[in-house]
Amino acid sequence: MNKVGVLRFPGTNCDRDIWQAVETVKAKPEWLWHTDRFGWKDYKALVIPGGFSYGDYLRTGALAAMSPVMKSLKEAIDHGVPVIGICNGFQILCEARILPGALLRNEKLKFQDKWVQVKVENNKIPWSANFEKNRKVRLPIAHGDGRYYADSETLKKIEDRGQVWCRYLDNPNGSLNDIAGVVNDKGNVVALMPHPERAIFDWMGSNDGIGFFNWL
Amino acid sequence: MKVAVKVLPKSEVLDTQGRAVQNALKQQGYDLKECRIGKYIVIDVDTDSEKTALKEAEKMAQAVLHNNLIETYEIDVL
Amino acid sequence: MELKNKLKAYRLSEEEYKKISNLLGRAPKGVEWALFSALWSEHCSYKSSKVHLKKLFKQSPRVVVAFGENAGVVDLGQGERVAFKMESHNHPSFIEPYQGAATGVGGILRDIFTMGARPVALANYLCFGPTDSDRMPYLIDGVVSGISGYGNCVGVPTITGQTEFHRSYKNNILVNALAVGLFEEGDRVFLSKAEGQGNHIVYVGAKTGRDGVHGASMASESFDEDSESKRPTIQIGDPFFEKLLIESCIDVMKQDLVVAIQDMGAAGLISSSFEMASKGGVGFDIWLDQVPLRDTSITPEEILLSESQERMLLVCEPEKLEALQSVFHRWGLDATVIGEITTRKKIRLFWHDELLTDIDPDLLVEEAPEHTRPFEPWQPAHRVDTVREIGLKIKKASETLNGILTSQQGKSRAWVFRQYDQRVGANTVYDCEVGIGAIRLPRTNRALGLALGCRPQVMRFDAAEGAKDAVFLPALELAAKGFEPIAVTDCLNFGNPERLEIMSEFVATTRNVSLACESLVTPIISGNVSLYNETDGENITSTPSIGMIGLRSHLEKLPKEHFTEEKQKIYLVRSVQLTTGGQLQEDQDETTYGTGQIVPTKAAEFVNSILYIANGAGVTSSKVVGKYGLAYALARMCKGDIGCEVYVVGKNLALAKDEDLFLEHFYEVLFVVEQKHSGDFELRLKQKKLDFFMIGQTIKNEFKIDRSIQMKLKNLSEAYESPFVEDAK
Repeated sequence: MNKVGVLRFPGTNCDRDIWQAVETVKAKPEWLWHTDRFGWKDYKALVIPGGFSYGDYLRTGALAAMSPVMKSLKEAIDHGVPVIGICNGFQILCEARILPGALLRNEKLKFQDKWVQVKVENNKIPWSANFEKNRKVRLPIAHGDGRYYADSETLKKIEDRGQVWCRYLDNPNGSLNDIAGVVNDKGNVVALMPHPERAIFDWMGSNDGIGFFNWL
Repeated sequence: MKVAVKVLPKSEVLDTQGRAVQNALKQQGYDLKECRIGKYIVIDVDTDSEKTALKEAEKMAQAVLHNNLIETYEIDVL
Repeated sequence: MELKNKLKAYRLSEEEYKKISNLLGRAPKGVEWALFSALWSEHCSYKSSKVHLKKLFKQSPRVVVAFGENAGVVDLGQGERVAFKMESHNHPSFIEPYQGAATGVGGILRDIFTMGARPVALANYLCFGPTDSDRMPYLIDGVVSGISGYGNCVGVPTITGQTEFHRSYKNNILVNALAVGLFEEGDRVFLSKAEGQGNHIVYVGAKTGRDGVHGASMASESFDEDSESKRPTIQIGDPFFEKLLIESCIDVMKQDLVVAIQDMGAAGLISSSFEMASKGGVGFDIWLDQVPLRDTSITPEEILLSESQERMLLVCEPEKLEALQSVFHRWGLDATVIGEITTRKKIRLFWHDELLTDIDPDLLVEEAPEHTRPFEPWQPAHRVDTVREIGLKIKKASETLNGILTSQQGKSRAWVFRQYDQRVGANTVYDCEVGIGAIRLPRTNRALGLALGCRPQVMRFDAAEGAKDAVFLPALELAAKGFEPIAVTDCLNFGNPERLEIMSEFVATTRNVSLACESLVTPIISGNVSLYNETDGENITSTPSIGMIGLRSHLEKLPKEHFTEEKQKIYLVRSVQLTTGGQLQEDQDETTYGTGQIVPTKAAEFVNSILYIANGAGVTSSKVVGKYGLAYALARMCKGDIGCEVYVVGKNLALAKDEDLFLEHFYEVLFVVEQKHSGDFELRLKQKKLDFFMIGQTIKNEFKIDRSIQMKLKNLSEAYESPFVEDAK
């Protein structure tokens, strides 16, 4: 079974990009609207795409984190279903307290669109199983609130437990410890600020992103 | 002396943030008529005089802290 | 209130008042003043420009819809069609730059999806005063943030842009926004003409508030009271709301629940309802009391004039209403019935039981005045007889180049475009780092290119040449990357048309833009006019900004914008009909001189030849030589650790002095070719009988032109990439 659930909230705008990436690796994407419920066995994996859910109003990801579909998502997570959050998806997972930390306004206060190099430090999880440890990948970022923050106690914990999933080689937004992506303590939920779905084909500028989806 | 400058969108101006949060709160089952969102800015003015602190904050509010085309403000001593 | 004051308040001339009274058979009453004020305004009626716009070249076998609708539509074959249009939002952006620019983006997006096309790309053309002039850093920052804030949130990538600086824009900045939309195979093109007696008129989107309503055109008696609350209210855009509107409208259109649809833009409810009725030859009954309101104290006239954003007006059959409303509710939006279509060709506006007016929509739409403002035939300006007489003088070439790279006009625009999401949609092929933008057409894996045109400095040299250049330069940029130019949209930004010299420039511009488009067979399928960009007698540079789309049949071997590898050959391919002292001469002396003129047929032939060359094997990069001439173009191609070493003096280029490295020739194109393919490349050039020179090759770490310029690449990029406005530290 290779059904992949793709969550959509009002304002999500990278949903069709994820659909395209999932189809490219020959898996079957399905939409999950923010008011839907689903069974934890229904999907091989779940994706929370990027965008501006609820316009980023109040705090990025805050309003989406309260949606009905999050109940089904939490249940699936408890049963070990692999989940990935990209950009706004990362922000939503942090607001929902599924991942540690928070994403704040970029250091230079402006939205930034650029290519970055990221080191994939943890390949013991399905989403990065195709990469050798510490493999460098070239991915695009496009965000205004990408500065990863956690208090010093939490930061130490995630570093010690190997919960840093990806790290920027050239920190574009002031993230603490150059953290670009994290994994939860159980090892099934990951998230990152860069967009792998925008680096699938050569003509996109890089095809390093396909490695994140291949396992589907 | 600390003063608080509260900046809110003018009543006739569309508050896009307030509208979105209002709808989300209603969806969550909360009962409310309206929600408006602004900024709460705390300035510690270098003075012991209340009068001076308010005057300085007033100048800052006028010049920088609010956009008089779309926002109003209130100043209180803390 | 005295008639004279009322005319002034509603911005109608005495002549127009007479015409209105004749048409109505009586004086206008009540809300009719607002109706005529809005629909006969320059912005809605195009009264000063219509007579000239009618003559524009606008047809080709590919055109599906041209003018008369919200956007133009072109058929690209293989089941793919695109809609595109450019629009201005100049004045609001000068007052409140963030919201002015944001609502400009919102408005142009609505013009696209109201046709049934999903918006897939954005571009913008910006003109500011010098960065050290009053308020300018605030305006630049606000405009870029506004475009960024709106476009990024709504999820449409900004793939190209142009930013200009000149003192003539100091008090009248220009913010032109362009959007492109894609129809999938089988998608219907939705028009705005209303039809079907008894059909519902449905209001969708945000509630109506006082946004954009002018206190001056309020009911006469209350002019002095409540003036605070009736001051013009800034239009606020909400990209989140717009995203909901885009998805829900596309949904209802795909499910065929809509007969006709129009967005409420300038003059909101008035323009949308009157235009829909007039086009369809039907009447509307509209119950203004049913319009969803943000504030219950709003008057009927304010409802009509409101420019609250993110609202659409649509027509649907009664039996489809429930399905339609359920789609909108899923997206959290209200769809309210506010009227119905009648057979009598009149628009009746009701406020509760009161009939406010019963009027023929054609009187406002078809009968709007057309002025033929006086103009003079065009005379070529600033000409000399030979290239030497142009008189451009410089001291040292390397110093001059360095000065250009750090100047406002010359430096990198990265500070601007890094704030735009260029890749949302996962279809971006060329982003803002490349001279043109391009996206993939997903079904056929072809590429759609988008190039902007108009160099204000060339317009200041000679408006007729600038107008031709506004079309030929983007055409050449598309061709140099292997894209065939297809169609054009334009935004004609001019000063006061009541001034003879401005009107003369307007006529010369429209005539020459049209001629250029005709020679390329790229019809002008949509557009916008912005007049009266004048403050205290100072007018902007006449700026006909152009957006041109092009088509490439495949995604393989797309030429890059910069040097990629060392040891590749660099060719300069030319067809020169006009040479000027260019931007550099203007920077130095305020005036540019030149010799020659662009002949459309020859320029078009050059474009076609370049297209043929660009599609040849071994072409790795290409670039059209533009402002500041050859040295600057070559400098900008350097990237990473790859630069070049070229020799130009002494070759048949007739370059004898360093000044010549900065002259602007219309036109020259640079190609970078792999060594092993250079033989074939030269064969293709000869096949097209093109004038060309192999000027040098790419090398590592340095940038060298003859003995005149020798720079280390690191110094080059430092100069080029300094920001316009200081970032937060």
